[in-house]
Amino acid sequence: MLTQHRSTRVSIGQQLKAAGISRRTFLEFCTKLMVAAPFGLELTDKVHAQEVARVIRKARRPSVIWLHFQDCTGCTETLLRTSKPDLGELILQIISLDYHETLMAASGALAEKCRRDAMEENFGRYVLVVEGAIPQKDGGVYMKLAGKPALQVLEETAKGAAAIIAIGSCAAWGGIPSADPNPTGAVGVDDIIKNKPIVNIPGCPPNPYTLLGVVLQFASNGTLPALDDKKRPKFAFDRTIHDQCPRRPHFDAGQFVKQYGDEGHRHGWCLYELGCKGPDTHAGCSTRHFNEVVDAWPIGIGAPCIGCTEKHLAFRVPMFSVVPIHHAVPPDTYPPVHAEMGKQVSPLATAIVGGVAGLIAGGAIVASKRVELTVHGKAVEVTDEQQNRGPRS
Amino acid sequence: MSLVSRRTALKVLAGGGLGSLATGQSAQASEALPTPPADAVAMLFDSTICTGCKACVVACTDANNLPPDTKMSGGIWQMPLDLNSETKNIIKLCQDPAKPENFSFVKHQCMHCLDPACVSACPFHALNKGAKGVVAWDGSLCIGCRYCEVACPFEVPKFEWDRFNPKIVKCEFCNHRLKEGFEPGCTSVCPTGAVVFGKRDDLLTRAKARITDHPGRYFESRVYGEKDAGGTQVLYLSGAPFKSIGLPDVPQYSLAGYATSVHKFLYKWMLIPAAVYGLLVAIMRRRWKVHQVTAAREEAETGLKEQL
Amino acid sequence: MRLPPLNVNVWQRGVPLLHEPLLTLPMVGLIALALIGMTLASIRLCTGLGYFSGMTDVYAWGIWKTFNVMTLTALGSGGLGVGMAAWVFNRAKLHIVMRTAILTSLILYTTGLVGILIDIGRPWNFYNILLPWRWNEHSAMFEIMVCMPVYAFIFLAFENLPTVLGRLSYTGDAAMRERIHRWMPRLRSIYPYMLAGAYLLPIMHQSSLGALMLAAGPKVHPLWQSQFLPLLYVFQAGICGLAFVIFTLLASCSYWHRPLDRDVLSELGRAMGLLTLVWAVIRIADIAVRGQITEALSLDFYSILFLCEFLLTLVPAVVLLAPEARSDPRTLFNMTMLIGISGMAYRFIPTTVAYRPGARTYYFPSVAELFIAMGLISIAIIAYLIAVKRFAVLPAPLSEWYETVHDLEPDHKGVAQHGHPTHH
Repeated sequence: MLTQHRSTRVSIGQQLKAAGISRRTFLEFCTKLMVAAPFGLELTDKVHAQEVARVIRKARRPSVIWLHFQDCTGCTETLLRTSKPDLGELILQIISLDYHETLMAASGALAEKCRRDAMEENFGRYVLVVEGAIPQKDGGVYMKLAGKPALQVLEETAKGAAAIIAIGSCAAWGGIPSADPNPTGAVGVDDIIKNKPIVNIPGCPPNPYTLLGVVLQFASNGTLPALDDKKRPKFAFDRTIHDQCPRRPHFDAGQFVKQYGDEGHRHGWCLYELGCKGPDTHAGCSTRHFNEVVDAWPIGIGAPCIGCTEKHLAFRVPMFSVVPIHHAVPPDTYPPVHAEMGKQVSPLATAIVGGVAGLIAGGAIVASKRVELTVHGKAVEVTDEQQNRGPRS
Repeated sequence: MSLVSRRTALKVLAGGGLGSLATGQSAQASEALPTPPADAVAMLFDSTICTGCKACVVACTDANNLPPDTKMSGGIWQMPLDLNSETKNIIKLCQDPAKPENFSFVKHQCMHCLDPACVSACPFHALNKGAKGVVAWDGSLCIGCRYCEVACPFEVPKFEWDRFNPKIVKCEFCNHRLKEGFEPGCTSVCPTGAVVFGKRDDLLTRAKARITDHPGRYFESRVYGEKDAGGTQVLYLSGAPFKSIGLPDVPQYSLAGYATSVHKFLYKWMLIPAAVYGLLVAIMRRRWKVHQVTAAREEAETGLKEQL
Repeated sequence: MRLPPLNVNVWQRGVPLLHEPLLTLPMVGLIALALIGMTLASIRLCTGLGYFSGMTDVYAWGIWKTFNVMTLTALGSGGLGVGMAAWVFNRAKLHIVMRTAILTSLILYTTGLVGILIDIGRPWNFYNILLPWRWNEHSAMFEIMVCMPVYAFIFLAFENLPTVLGRLSYTGDAAMRERIHRWMPRLRSIYPYMLAGAYLLPIMHQSSLGALMLAAGPKVHPLWQSQFLPLLYVFQAGICGLAFVIFTLLASCSYWHRPLDRDVLSELGRAMGLLTLVWAVIRIADIAVRGQITEALSLDFYSILFLCEFLLTLVPAVVLLAPEARSDPRTLFNMTMLIGISGMAYRFIPTTVAYRPGARTYYFPSVAELFIAMGLISIAIIAYLIAVKRFAVLPAPLSEWYETVHDLEPDHKGVAQHGHPTHH
C-alpha cells in the first residue's frame, strides 16, 4: 500500500477514506495543525478546521522520499510518537512515503529500486526529506548507502526534488556528528545543495507538526512557508524559548534554581542559572510540547534547554554555561530599608587581630614580671662643699 | 618660683572646662533653626502615594549618566541594594514580615539639609550648598577623606571604593537640569505624584494642608524635614513610622551647629589660641632664662656643659 | 630671680646604646613586617581603597584613621605631656626623659601622618592646603590636616634637633662640631617660642581629633557623644602620652638592663595619675549632666564597655596616688599599661565600636588593612630602636656618659669620673 507507484495520483481525501480514517479524526488533526502553526502558514490561515480539512483533502498526496544519513532516526521517531490520533498512521496516508529506510517493508536492492522508480516517476515534483548529517571528509566515505557515499546519493536524489526539507539539527546544520572535532566533516544539507529550495527544521528532535505544516502547505498549493535567514520556517522558529516559556514569571521575579533538586527546583523555578539556553534558542517548544503530553519537554520536566536547534549552542556551548540575555526586563523585587552591608569578615583577619592582642597581653605579663631595675635612691647627689656654699644670686 | 602656681593652673582648667560646658549646653538649647535660602528648591515625597514603580530610579540613572548597578542580578538588570557609587536615588520597601499587607515604599536620596553636616565637615568645601540650596560635590577640592560619610546622619554620600580616582556620589538635585529650567529626573517621571518638585515654602504648605485634610493618615501628623536635622529640602510624609522607612531619629536642631559651636567660639578670630600662645611664651621665657642661668652656673662650677 | 640650689644631677645625660647591635633578630622581623606593610600601602596608592581594606560606605573609616592616627598619636603626645609637666609646671626632674618623650612623639606622629596619606582617597588634591581661600576653618578635619603636619615637621622636629645635632657632633669632624656650636645659641634663642607652639598646637589638634566625632551626632552612642569630647580627648592625649613614655622607659631599660631614676618615674606616674583623675572627674560630670547615668548602669553592651573603660582608667590612677606604688617598678608598669590601654580604648571606641550607623552592618579590618597598620607600627618601632641605639636619648647616669660618649666630646675638660666635679 505504501509503495504503490500510482498512489500519487490519488487525492489525500480519497486516500484517507480508503484507509478508513474518520472525518472526526482528521478534523482533530487539522485543529492540532492550526494550533501548532497559528501564524505564518498559509495552509492554516483559515477560520475553521473544516476549511483546512477541505483544502488538504483536495490536495494530491505528495511523493516523499526520505533519506537517512548520519542520524539517530530520532526525527522519524518523533513523527511516530503521537497517539491521538495515531499521527504516524495519519501522516502515512497524507503523504506517499515512497522511500523510508526505517518504515518501508522492502530492503536491499528492492528498496533502492523503489527509490529510483519514485524519483523517475515524480521527477521535479517529489519532496526530499533529509534526516542526518552528510560527511564530506575523505570523499564522504564515512556514510555509504548501497555502496555509494552519502554525498553522491544526496546530489543524485536532490536533482529531481521540488523541495528539500532538512529535518533535524543534523540535516539542518550538522548536529551531533558535527560537534568538535567533527572528524567526519559532517555538514547540513544546505552546505551541499545550493540550487534547490531548502527548508531547515532544526531540533533534536523537532516538533512533528512543523514538518507537517510545511509538507501540507506544499501539497496544497505548492509553496513553502516564509523562511528566516537560516531557512527555518518562521511560523515555528520566529520566537525564542524564553519569550514563551511558562517559567518566565520566575525569571522575572529573580527566582532561580541553583542546583538540581533544591527547593527552587521543586517549585518549578527558572532554570536560567543552570545554563538554560532558552533565551538564545529559537524554537517553539515552550508552547508545543512533545508527545502530545503537556509539560513533556525539557524545561517542563526541570532540565534546562540545551539549545538543540541552534548551531552556535547545541553540542558546542557546555550545557551548564549561562547565556546572555538580549532583552532584559526589570524584576519586581525591592531592597529592604536596612540592607545588610559590609564586607565578609575574613577569618584570617580576626586571627591576626586575636594573635596580636594575645602577643601584646602575653608580652605585657612577661615584661611586668621581669621589670627589674637598678635604681638610685635619689636623683641628686649634693656635695658637702656646695651645701655649705649655699645658693648664689 | 613658677610664674603660674599650681592653684592658678587648676583654676584656669576648671574655668575653661565649665566655660565650654556652658557654651555647649547653650549651643544645643538656643540654636536657632537655619534659614533656608530664598529660592530653596525642594521635593515632597508622600509614601502613602508611592506605588514602587521605580521609574524615578531609572530616570535618575538616565539623567545623571550613571551606570546601572547590576551586581545583584549578575549583570542583567539594575538592582541596587542601597544608595551607592552608582545609585543616587533608590526605592526601598518596608514591609512587616508578620503582616505582609502592611507595607510602604520609600524613596531615598540626599536630603539637601538647610545646614548640612557634610558641608560643615568637609575640609576644603568640596561639598557645598550652592544655588537654590542644592548640596553639590566638587571633585577638584575633594581629598577623599570620607568625613562627609561619617558626618551625614542620613548616610547619603557614597564613595567609589573600587576606583583609583574615587568620587563622592550623591543626589545633586539634577543641578544640570535645574539650570535649564527642567525638573529633576525623578520628580519629572513620577506617575502618581508621590514625589513632587517645587519651592520649599510651597511644598511645606502643601504638605501641611495634606495633613490637615487627612487627619490620622500621616505618622505623627508632621512633615519630616521641617525641623529634623535643622530642616531639610527634601520633605517626607509617611503613614508608617519614620524610623521604619529608614528616616533616622535626628535631633530637631542642626548637627553641623552642634559639631562646630564650641569650635567656632574657641577659635573666633584665633583670639583664644593667640592668648594661650602668649601665655605659654611668657611662661617659657621665664623658665628658659632660669634654665640658661642655671646651666651657665653649673658649667662654671663643675665644668660640665649641658648636653646639647 | 631665685635660683634653685646648685646640684649636680647625676642623671643629666642622655646616652646612645652604642654597644647594642642594630640588626638583631627582632629587628629583622620588624623590617619584614614593615616591608610587607609598605608594599601593600604602595599598591593601595595605585588602586582603589576598596581592594585593600574592609571599609564600606557605612564604615567609611577603617583602622588607619581611627587607630594609627587617633589612637597612636595619643600615645605620641609624650612630647606634650612631659613637656608641659617639665616646663610649664616646673617639674625639673622630668627634663632627663624629655628626649625620650619627644622622640616617641615624633616617630608616632610621622607614622600617623603617613597613615593619613595612605588613607585618603584623592591625595592629589592635597595642594588645596596651601590655598587659604579654600579652607573650611570650622571643619575639625581641616584643623587636623593643617595642625598635625605643622606640629610634627616644624615644632616637634625642632625639639628633636638637639638630639640629631648631638650625634652629628660625635660622628662629625671638628669643622662640623664648630658649626654646630656656632648655631646652638641661635637655636636656643628661639626655644621658648618654639616650645610654646609645641604645646599649643597639640592641644589644638588633639581636641580637634575629639571634635571629629561630634559631627557624627546621634550615630555615636550617647555614653561617648558629648560636646566635651574635645576636652576629654586632649586630657586623654596627655595621659596616654605620659603612659607611653613611662612604658617605653620601663620596657627599654628593662630589656637592655639599664638603670632608671626611681624619682623620675615616680614623678611621671604622679603627673599621669593626677591628669587621669581630672579626666575622670570631667567624664563623670559630663555623663551626669547629660543624664546618662542610668544608661551607664544599664549593663547592656555599651554600658559594660563604658564601665570597663572607665574603671580600668580610674582604679590604676587611684593606685598611683600612693608614692610607694609609684616607686615600685612593677606596680608602676602594670598600672601604666592599664591606663594606657584604657586610654587608647577611650580614643578608639567612639569612632568604631560606639559608632552605630543606621544600616544593619558590620566592619572588620581586612588582612591587607591590618598588615599596613602593623607595617606602620613596625616602622615606628624600627625608628625608635635605631634612634635609642645611635642617638643620645635614653637617660643614663653621668658615669655611663663618661664611658661611652665623653671621649667623643674632647673639649669637655675638667670633669672627672663618677660625676664629681674637679676643683679649679
